[in-house]
Amino acid sequence: MSAPNPISSLQSDPIEATASTSNTSETPSAFGGTFWRVFLSTFVTIFLAELGDKTQVATLLLSAQSRSPVVVFLGAGLALISTSLLGVLLGQWLAKRISPSTLDTCAGILLLLITIGLIGDIVGQ
Amino acid sequence: MDFQLFIVSFITVFVSELGDKSQLAAIALGGSSPSPKAVFFGSASALLLASLLGVLLGESTALLLPKKLVKGLAALGFGLLAVRLLWPEPEGLDL
Repeated sequence: MSAPNPISSLQSDPIEATASTSNTSETPSAFGGTFWRVFLSTFVTIFLAELGDKTQVATLLLSAQSRSPVVVFLGAGLALISTSLLGVLLGQWLAKRISPSTLDTCAGILLLLITIGLIGDIVGQ
Repeated sequence: MDFQLFIVSFITVFVSELGDKSQLAAIALGGSSPSPKAVFFGSASALLLASLLGVLLGESTALLLPKKLVKGLAALGFGLLAVRLLWPEPEGLDL
């Protein structure tokens, strides 16, 4: 399965490259610091949100029913990578069209809505 | 390699993930973060780990962590990300 070219274009320059290729506001901190801080905060938040999420339940049921979890994991994994990639590419596409401050406000409000949705899940159960 | 099952898994998860919380977060963070590559790798690896747990542990994943605690921590995480975007600290956005 050859990875679609957007992934290779994302990974074209090695991560430890000093020049950060992102076009949004450049924070002067060392490239490594920002990358890992963003990576960790994204990883922890999305991992927690995904545990018990309907996608995970779907994967779980598929693997139990088919009794071949490897194939299910491959299919699900590729789908998850694709949706994450689509999400980030869409975010970047928006970043080119909307001023950073407006985008940050919209992103903040969107994340706030997700937070409220999660709290709703907790209270609702 | 059961290709039909692979396709079914791909489509099922792809459709259920479109517009899901994690993708909305990827869009929001992907656009506003100084390091979109980190957002992609962070989001993709988190989703892979969660689905790996789902596949390997099966139903017992739910026993692993009480649902309310996990959702609460996730809400806290997203709330922190939102606050940092809406009210960045004076010395500029560090997310």
